[in-house]
Amino acid sequence: MGNITLGQYIPGESVLHRLDPRSKIIWTVLLMVAVFMINTWQEYVIMGAFIAILLIISGIPVKQSLKGLKPLVLILAITAILNIFFVKGTPLVKIGPVAITYEGLISAVMLFFRLVMLVVAASLMTLTTTPMAMTDGIERMMKPLERIGVPAHEIAMMMSIALRFIPTLMEETDRIMKAQASRGADFDTGNLLKRVKSFIPVLVPLFVSAFKRADELAEAMEARCYRGSKGRTRLKQIRFTMLDLKASLAGILFLILLFGPRFWLW
Amino acid sequence: MIEFKDVYFEYRSQSADQPATRAINGIDEIIREGEFVAVLGRNGSGKSTMARLMNALLLPTRGTVWVEGMDTSKGEMVWEIRKTLGMVFQNPDNQIVATTVEEDLAFGPENLGVDPAEIRKRIIDAARYVGMEEHMRHSPHMLSGGQKQRVAIASILAMEPKCIVLDESTSMLDPKGRKEVLNLVRTLNRDRKITIILITHHMEEAVDADRVMVMDNGRIVMDGTPREIFARVDELKKVGLNVPSVTQLMHELKSKGFALEGPVLTVEEAEESLKAVLDKRRKTRGAPDDTAGAGAPSEVIVRIRDLTHVYMPGTTFEKKALDNVSMDIMKGEILGIIGHTGSGKSTLVQHLNGLLKPTSGSVEVDGLECGKKTLKELRQKVGLIFQYPEHQLFEETVYKDIIFGPTRIGLSVEEIQERVKRVLKILGLSEELLEKSPFELSGGQKRRVAIAGVLAMEPKILVLDEPTAGLDPQGSEEVFSFLTRLNKANGTTILIISHNMDQVAAYCDRVAVLNKGRLEMLDTPRRVFSHGERLHELGLGIPEITRLFRNLARAGYPVSDNVLTIPEAVREMAGTAPGQGHDEGGMFQ
Repeated sequence: MGNITLGQYIPGESVLHRLDPRSKIIWTVLLMVAVFMINTWQEYVIMGAFIAILLIISGIPVKQSLKGLKPLVLILAITAILNIFFVKGTPLVKIGPVAITYEGLISAVMLFFRLVMLVVAASLMTLTTTPMAMTDGIERMMKPLERIGVPAHEIAMMMSIALRFIPTLMEETDRIMKAQASRGADFDTGNLLKRVKSFIPVLVPLFVSAFKRADELAEAMEARCYRGSKGRTRLKQIRFTMLDLKASLAGILFLILLFGPRFWLW
Repeated sequence: MIEFKDVYFEYRSQSADQPATRAINGIDEIIREGEFVAVLGRNGSGKSTMARLMNALLLPTRGTVWVEGMDTSKGEMVWEIRKTLGMVFQNPDNQIVATTVEEDLAFGPENLGVDPAEIRKRIIDAARYVGMEEHMRHSPHMLSGGQKQRVAIASILAMEPKCIVLDESTSMLDPKGRKEVLNLVRTLNRDRKITIILITHHMEEAVDADRVMVMDNGRIVMDGTPREIFARVDELKKVGLNVPSVTQLMHELKSKGFALEGPVLTVEEAEESLKAVLDKRRKTRGAPDDTAGAGAPSEVIVRIRDLTHVYMPGTTFEKKALDNVSMDIMKGEILGIIGHTGSGKSTLVQHLNGLLKPTSGSVEVDGLECGKKTLKELRQKVGLIFQYPEHQLFEETVYKDIIFGPTRIGLSVEEIQERVKRVLKILGLSEELLEKSPFELSGGQKRRVAIAGVLAMEPKILVLDEPTAGLDPQGSEEVFSFLTRLNKANGTTILIISHNMDQVAAYCDRVAVLNKGRLEMLDTPRRVFSHGERLHELGLGIPEITRLFRNLARAGYPVSDNVLTIPEAVREMAGTAPGQGHDEGGMFQ
């Protein structure tokens, strides 16, 4: 518990921290698309170097940015193994009927780096943007949709409250599980049905408390004069500044550098 | 500032066949600008409802409430009213909206449509005022309870209110957090002339108020200065409250015939007033000592050796919570465990029933080495009750909830029914409750039902983490009375984690003091509390009575410097003051 990267903003003053969340969201998406498009080792190197530079600029510890990989380890391992064994090509080692091929090995390695880059790129955004700024950005980007009846502000508010309460509810789950285990609950033995059932003593109190929290939070928000987006100002006006312009130009230059050779070299 | 005129309030019932519950039963009251008012009352006396009526979260069923001349029932004034009168709630977690401190501070002004530059100015000012300016970018779940409440106060300050209502805002805090919040509230009242309404059931918190109101059954039954109110000890008892322990002591001494003046609210006042009746010439008696009374060495039931526990080893969050703790717990004793928040108390007790595994070292409970194989047996032997155990209730009926544990250890139906009966008797719960839903019960009942679920396992060792947190004085007393019953009748070994030194002094046989994961002391309350200075360094206090007598003894008066409880203090005074009867056998006669 407590080691979830989601919404775990790391305070800082770097360029990345100061960018408009909207430009961060857009560029993260572009960057992730680019990661899927690269396929030569030169492109991998350029991409890797770029992300490494961003990481250095952001001042985020490398360890922290790789945290998001943890839940993916299993998928990563399986796909890598599948790649190693099933990509056809020059065999390197033969074990019975299956062969590890040179191409398989390469594609497994590439896949590995691709995933790492995806995770780091995404964490770079989440770790340098407060969830509040992020939801603000999303709210502003969805603003045009309000005209067709999409409640942009409410969606954004719900998202940020959800993010705010994730750590609280995780702690609470841990506490309730321990309390129930102390009076004889057993979460680890028996068949699937029995195990699912064994979570009822955890889920019921968790829901009861979540509703109670929701109730109290709503009261607290009302007491602080919350009445939806009407007449509301924001502490942090998100603004597309010179900094965002420069960053975006840098991003475009990078994409040209990355994919340009594909056109020039033909 | 605030005026209640003939106010009634009823909560609508959830089903048609139940009558509406009347929470406020005719209040006429005026609170003036700049006043510091404490509102006392047991759980369910209507305190919180009254607070909600003040800022239009609830509207009176009958009568009118005005805030600065604004009628709360007039819808258009509601935002102006809430801006004027800010409210801090009980649970620190459930009132912080945003994911960082600064964004939470900004939430109120944002809602009011304040200009961003002005918001920035206000939140910096507010954060500085409550001493949280260094935590502006922090996420709320990283803060302590006291810090969270200070953030909550600052978020209200940023809205520039004239009045702040604190609805039991200190009840979920540890003593340190409580002190932080109270000091802050006092300065706000003094320096910024903000009207304060402090709702609480901790009597000591009301001592500094200008005025105390006591509520019961939706009415204000007493109203006066703290001195006037705390003089009426017996009346307060009647409405389920008590008085600060020094006040209680002086009250009892007076009824024993001591010529003492007026009610006393603080240790310093008590000191002065006792000095007047004590005779300095009499020889000093020895300290009462417990070793004489202690019987033959009893059996060890828990043996902890070199226990170390590290959370999340190898990560950036790595934290050594226990560091080489060795101790023996004796069969049949009541052991208090004290230490400031984060000192390792909870970590220690979670080893006793195998919720946590030692990183190194060993724990042996009643002959069982704690490990994977013994887990099930271990959890029958050790009943662990967490803070706010009522939060783990989940079944449709009280009966089903209580038997959750016992059915899992394969007892027969008859045996289970037998046990439920026994447990209800110990806890003083009626059998009628069994078919009710645990969610309809009152706070104190819920807590006892939750404890019943653990007691029905008939553990040899019962561990409780802050068993009286959030309960009013009467509720707390009930908890301790059944714990002593359980200890006397069944010989159950009881471990209590507590922040309340008065409780520890009164009920525990021994006290373990933890500091930064190390066992700092393990001895009788008397010996532990004789190290007042050391405890102070560790952020812990000593009982007020102990402090009072230590001060007197140091000033050269013939009293023991080591008195723990009110009855002891009364006896001590009876023995020392001139013309007051019997002398007990001291050590150095």
